[in-house]
Amino acid sequence: MDLVDLIQEKHFLGQEFLAWLWFKAEERGGNVDVPGMGDILVAFEKHMLLEYGEGEETEKVICRGLQTELREARAGLGLGKKPEQARIRFARGDYEFNVTLTAATLEFRNVKLPKTVEGADEGDDPESMEGRILERIGLFEQLTEIVNELFRMFINIRASKAWPDELLKIRTWAALGLEH
Amino acid sequence: MGLVTGSASFMRFTIEGELPENFWDFVAERVVAHSFVDIDDNMEEYSIGWVSVANMFDSEFAYSSYAAGDYVVLTMRADERKVSPAVLKKFTMKEEERIKQEKQLSKLARSVRLEIKERVRAELVRKSAPVPAVYDLCWNLAEGTLLFFSTSKKAMLQLEELFRETFDLSIILQIPWTTALHLVDEDLVAGLDELRPAILI
Repeated sequence: MDLVDLIQEKHFLGQEFLAWLWFKAEERGGNVDVPGMGDILVAFEKHMLLEYGEGEETEKVICRGLQTELREARAGLGLGKKPEQARIRFARGDYEFNVTLTAATLEFRNVKLPKTVEGADEGDDPESMEGRILERIGLFEQLTEIVNELFRMFINIRASKAWPDELLKIRTWAALGLEH
Repeated sequence: MGLVTGSASFMRFTIEGELPENFWDFVAERVVAHSFVDIDDNMEEYSIGWVSVANMFDSEFAYSSYAAGDYVVLTMRADERKVSPAVLKKFTMKEEERIKQEKQLSKLARSVRLEIKERVRAELVRKSAPVPAVYDLCWNLAEGTLLFFSTSKKAMLQLEELFRETFDLSIILQIPWTTALHLVDEDLVAGLDELRPAILI
């Protein structure tokens, strides 16, 4: 199967990952305990794109909220829509990242990196430039590692016998979104 | 852009293929061989190649600026002379009118109109300044992964081709499915294929 077909056929994995992550984040008040990493703060905010249906029948809904619980998006989830894009804040230790993740290809959009002390060094010589680049790469990789480890958690539940129980919890949580 | 400053958007790729021995010599040779060639002072319509991440006018890579620790960092630059469809339409119609008047014709044959359109396009392309586009990348040699700082499909296709031509290596876009294959526990791999969309309500 070529990549385009794979993206289309396995599209649901990215959507379910975002839905699961949203549920997981709210399950423990914003913190997700990631094996090997400890508590990671995961906060869904500002912007979410939901999708309903498949192929030409697809409907898309954009929901925005300001640091709120994205009530409309929660209600949309409760009505069977799935997240296609989400703006998420991740925090690990002193570092905080903002990113919009897409479901189909797990693209990282509009990434905001944490401010660091080293970043203040604005020298233009090759060594300073290399230092700044390596620091930025380190931060980008911290963010991709966080997302990878969360995705590892998700897929190991999704593909295991634990999934039906987890799905039940997600459904209960999604239904709560309709009540508020 | 995005690797060096500001907010960034990127896609992730996996590199396929073996790295050659004397890797940095290989990179030095190949990157320079496929560096960007400026077309500002000639009539070329399109040019694509590598420049330094620090300076889009640096295609000579002084201080081996493509090397940062165990990473290769590069900017793909593509310059293209473009003509907007509206401009092309306007000048084509103008030229058609001129020829009709000159030859006292009420209509022009389709083949003549196509020839006019192509000629006008070529003239307009020659007159237009090349529009530059730059996209950073960061290649993690230890992991065999690459971050490409764009989400444009066109730029992604350009990258796949330029990367293959430069390094004789393929890059494969990481999507949730391929990431799942890579990250799932060994005893669960076989079951991945059986997964079907879940209903979340």
